Amino acid sequence: MDLSTQLPQLLGLAWLMPLASFVLILFFGPKMGHHGRNAAWVATAAIVTSLVLSLVAFVSWLGAHPVSAGHHGGDHGAAHAEDHADAAGHVAGEHGSDAWHAAGGHAAAGHGPIAYSGDWYTLYEGGRLRLSIGWYIDSLTILMFVVVTFIATCIHVYASGYMHDELHDVTDHEVTLTDGHHLHRPGRFPRFFQALSLFCFSMLGIVIAGNLAMVFIFWELVGICSWFLIGFYYERKSASNAANKAFIVNRVGDFGMLIGLMALWGALGTLQFADSSVPGADGHAVTKPGLFSLVRPADHGHALRVPDGMVEFAAAEKVAHTPPAEVAGKVDAWRAEGFGRWLLFIAGVGIFCGCVGKSAQFPLFVWLPDAMEGPTPVSALVHSATMVAAGVYLVGRFFPVLTPDVLLVIAYVGAITLFIAATIALVANDIKRVLAYSTVSQLGYMMLALGVGGWAAGLFHLVTHAFFKSLLFLCSGSVIHACHTNDMRKMGGLARVMPYTAGTMLVGCLAIIGAGIPFVIGLSGYYSKDSILAQALSFAQANPRHTILFYAVAGGAALTAFYMFRLWFMTFAGEPRDHHVAEHAHESPQVMVMPLLVLAVLAVVAGWTLPGGFGIANLLEQSRPAGTVETAVGGFAFGQTLTIPAEHLSHGEPFHSTATWTAFATALGGVLLAAAMYVWRVISPAAVAAMFRPVYSFLANRWYFDELYHALFVVPAHGLAAVASGIDQGLIDPFINFLAWTTRQVAGIDAWIDRTFVDGLVNATANATWTLGNELKRLQTGSLRQYVTFIVVGTVALFVIASLFFRQALAG
Amino acid sequence: MDLGTLLTSNLTDTLDVSLPHFRTELALSATIVLVLLCRMLPVLRWLDSGFVAMGGVAFALWYAWCDFRGLPGSPWATIAASQPGSVELFGGLLVFDSLTAYIRLLLCGFLVLYILFTKVSGIPDREDGADFYTLVLGSSLGMCLMASANHLLMLFMAVEMASVPSYVLAGLLKGRKASSEAALKYAVYGAGAAGVMLYGISLLAGVLGTCHLPSMAAELGRIVGEGADTGSIMVLALGGLMLAAGLAFKLSAVPFHFWCPDVFEGAAAEVGAFLSVASKAAAVALAIRVAFSLGWLGDATGVTATGLADVRHFSVYLIGLMAAVTCTLGNLAAYGQTNMKRLLAYSTIAHAGYLLMGVAAAVAMLGVDPEGCRAAVAALAFYLATYLFMNLGAFAIVAVLRNRLRSEEIASYAGLVHTNPGLVVAAVVVLVSLVGLPPFAGFVAKLQVFAALANAITKGIERPLMLVLLVVGGMNTVLSLFYYLRVLKVMTFDPPNDARVAAAAPVWLPGALVTAVVVPVVLLGIFWGGLLAVAQLAGTFAS
Repeated sequence: MDLSTQLPQLLGLAWLMPLASFVLILFFGPKMGHHGRNAAWVATAAIVTSLVLSLVAFVSWLGAHPVSAGHHGGDHGAAHAEDHADAAGHVAGEHGSDAWHAAGGHAAAGHGPIAYSGDWYTLYEGGRLRLSIGWYIDSLTILMFVVVTFIATCIHVYASGYMHDELHDVTDHEVTLTDGHHLHRPGRFPRFFQALSLFCFSMLGIVIAGNLAMVFIFWELVGICSWFLIGFYYERKSASNAANKAFIVNRVGDFGMLIGLMALWGALGTLQFADSSVPGADGHAVTKPGLFSLVRPADHGHALRVPDGMVEFAAAEKVAHTPPAEVAGKVDAWRAEGFGRWLLFIAGVGIFCGCVGKSAQFPLFVWLPDAMEGPTPVSALVHSATMVAAGVYLVGRFFPVLTPDVLLVIAYVGAITLFIAATIALVANDIKRVLAYSTVSQLGYMMLALGVGGWAAGLFHLVTHAFFKSLLFLCSGSVIHACHTNDMRKMGGLARVMPYTAGTMLVGCLAIIGAGIPFVIGLSGYYSKDSILAQALSFAQANPRHTILFYAVAGGAALTAFYMFRLWFMTFAGEPRDHHVAEHAHESPQVMVMPLLVLAVLAVVAGWTLPGGFGIANLLEQSRPAGTVETAVGGFAFGQTLTIPAEHLSHGEPFHSTATWTAFATALGGVLLAAAMYVWRVISPAAVAAMFRPVYSFLANRWYFDELYHALFVVPAHGLAAVASGIDQGLIDPFINFLAWTTRQVAGIDAWIDRTFVDGLVNATANATWTLGNELKRLQTGSLRQYVTFIVVGTVALFVIASLFFRQALAG
Repeated sequence: MDLGTLLTSNLTDTLDVSLPHFRTELALSATIVLVLLCRMLPVLRWLDSGFVAMGGVAFALWYAWCDFRGLPGSPWATIAASQPGSVELFGGLLVFDSLTAYIRLLLCGFLVLYILFTKVSGIPDREDGADFYTLVLGSSLGMCLMASANHLLMLFMAVEMASVPSYVLAGLLKGRKASSEAALKYAVYGAGAAGVMLYGISLLAGVLGTCHLPSMAAELGRIVGEGADTGSIMVLALGGLMLAAGLAFKLSAVPFHFWCPDVFEGAAAEVGAFLSVASKAAAVALAIRVAFSLGWLGDATGVTATGLADVRHFSVYLIGLMAAVTCTLGNLAAYGQTNMKRLLAYSTIAHAGYLLMGVAAAVAMLGVDPEGCRAAVAALAFYLATYLFMNLGAFAIVAVLRNRLRSEEIASYAGLVHTNPGLVVAAVVVLVSLVGLPPFAGFVAKLQVFAALANAITKGIERPLMLVLLVVGGMNTVLSLFYYLRVLKVMTFDPPNDARVAAAAPVWLPGALVTAVVVPVVLLGIFWGGLLAVAQLAGTFAS
């Protein structure tokens, strides 16, 4: 079968399986065995089917497009070095005429990515608006499908063990009712898997989406699933607050995303990623260019430029004064004047705003740590590995449309996020919160990588992070399951009772800090983090003003190493701090341990490149957006020229070795410091905290972000609400009441008129009719003699009437 | 012309032209003979006269259908219709056209349902069956002749043939005082009306010199058109009025309606059903026939044509006036009734008024707007067919309830919805349809009659009268709501009458009968295209 028909079928089916599971559990969940025990099987079966289908699609893809080594290897980079220099000079001479150039005059030779796209179903078509459910499949899509379904499978298995409390009535000790008792409620086992299935469907929908409208639909769907799952224990005030917080904060980001969507659609009239063939006016299929080819036209060497639609949209005033026939000819001149640049910038930043919300970037990251109120499997799947990665994924997918200015914004947002989150993680004591801030920080890494032009690096880290972070969360879940507490200060020495958990978590920690033997071999994080560092270094060298970005990455790596090993040491090493907890601790059941082992293996190997060249990094290269192979130069928004260095340059020297050594040194430093404080105890954490008390409390209070937002937004919102409520109650309600009172009075008068005159009239008529009827009845005497007389009388009467009224007719 | 030629031509006319179009009546006549034979011959006594009658009527219905579908312009013709639109039979005594064919079809179709109804309701019993069906068939034969009469003598004969058996039918409940009284009143009143009509016929014949309707029309047009002396005109007018009085008696139009409530109350419900449906249909057909024949001649020119226009004007006003008064009085007098059959009698009178409005509209548009005239006749044909189902349904419900409650008083129906919900639903359908509200057949029928009036108004034909009739018709519909809904109110809202311990025996056959009659009322209110096509075919004669 042709790949272009096979892939949509396979992945489409893989996408819809969880939906089927959702519908089944929704309607028949409570009937599935005792307390819906079998709902777990239904959901797991569905996601396993999806995984198998995704793997088949993956294998088919590899069969058609083998992954080769050195696709864009280091030797390649050397060949382009001079082009790069040449282009820089070129731009200097022409600055202002055309904002962005693909460096190198031969960029036209660069081919586009391998991708398949099309539509399953048209939702709406009218005017310029065409909304459809479609697909855009490249190696990134398939990779994400495999990763999402694989992790989801592990988590479904894990959750069927973890959630077993929900199989019978639950007494929730964290909810105290007004009568002083704890809440007693029925179990909600099927409900959990129902939401999990819906989430998988929605997440896969984002991944496979062929247009931004569809992305947005599923974007909101994962949002609502997240709301369901965070608020799973909705009787707990903290959980329901956290769910609402996550939802509301995401709406802020989505508002920006809507602006971006409007800018794109208003100016370009399409939200499709790729070119699509639509029925034209004459019935023949017409190729309608998608966003990618509008922004990076093939005849322009895939170099970024403001699309004609945006130029005309921005220069609407000039268009209005130009004869329609001449508009096309003047577009280039207007483009050179800079029309439409801001529109493209706004579109990019707008879409990125949505990603800021979903991927918990500064300043909207506050919801993610609170989201840990949900069950731990949810934290592992939704709030670390997949949903929060959706923002990064969308930036990656949308990458061709992003201008260098937008990329710079992204890079800085990522840098700020990674630094803030890492510092907070240093002092957090809740095991899940440490991981949550670590997730925020790692997402910042990915954003930064994308922002500095490391398209493959960012997405590579997305994949490896998905494996090791879900592993870490599942391990923490195992610990919580054993200890019934989240507080690391009550743990310690658990390695002896929970060897598997401790071992797999150690693997996870090593992976996240990028441990490895330099230039020889390492865990998955070693490869992805190194490539981010190298790209950041490359960017810093090309743009010396932004060297701080590299320092952020390097510093963040050290902090990561410290807080991750602080977590591991506090939890597993040393002696138990709380014997009550230690006595109860036990290794988790096999159904929970198995996923840990599987994920641990993947956390080790996911970054490897096999001798034949097969590896995630090279696989991603197949999907590299057209026009991003070469170094790009441009930028206008910040009054400076930006250089986005080509990513293959970072694979060469000196970036590669510098990055590797930096990563190794920072990670080692972080681990050693953690060991010194928590294992060897040569430095007392308490003493350090006391020494830097202001800093410590600043960090422990999470930079006072919650308080800041509370003061900035929540309090004014409440104030505004109070004012509005006051106006409503003091002004509008009395007015309405006055109106009602007046109406009532008028109605009273009206009713009196109605009763007296109208009803009187009606009643009089009715009475008259009734009387007349009875009088007529009286005519019917029953006397035969009278009847016969009436025949004659009737005839004569008719004759009289006829002669009176029809005299004319009778007379002729 | 010698006697031989005359005989030959007469024979040819009778055998080749008349009898083939007379098969329905012949079948009915044969059935009457057969039913009587069954009663007399011991060999055939075991035969139930009802089934014999049913068999004969089935034949008659088949012939009526064959005649009808053979009409020119019929979509059901098996072979290309070759017969002309209008054929005079028996030397001009009768005429066969689409109206005749339609009324015959309607009557025979009604007879089938009616015989079923009587078999189910149990009146007549087996002993009286032969008498009863003989009388019903004889009366129906007269009605068929009424629909085809083309000669005043034939008209009188037909009316009497339809009426005399009815007098006897009214007294069917032997030994019941009310029934005998009804029969006597009916007979005497009928005799009076017949006398008046006969007097009118003799006046007309005396002035015009003929009783053959088309010939009369030619003479009438000439006399009126030439402006003869006032005396002749007066005589003609009086004669016409007297003829109209006879027809009005059959239609139970005011002021010749007095017999109707008493007869309906006294006679069995079954008889009431026969009189209100069959008799009404034949009388309407006869009214249309007389008014059309005396008011229009296809080949009339000059003074004759203007004279006929005056005649039409006169008859339109006569019919219209009668219609308005009949309708209003019928509805108003129904208000205070306590007996269901009596109430239905006034309802019948009121509906005669609505029908006469349609007749007035048809006569008004005759010759002026052929299209509108045909539509008006079609509306009447449609009305008659739906009225058949509605009134048969109403009387069937009365009969079924009589058998259950031994009472026909409206008060005895109190709280019926608790014991007989199905029957009450049927009553709702029938009575609401009689009011003329959607979605039932009565609405469609009334709508078409009113549409004919509106059509005449928009075309400017007899505008003032038509306008008055339309307003009166609309207001009467409102008036009629009251007494029909009062019955339903008693049935549903009033508390059940404890004295009446309903014999709640399962009523399968009556239930099936009522359903069979009521379902068409609903269906025809929704899918009325088919019946409308039939009715339109019936209207084609008015060209």
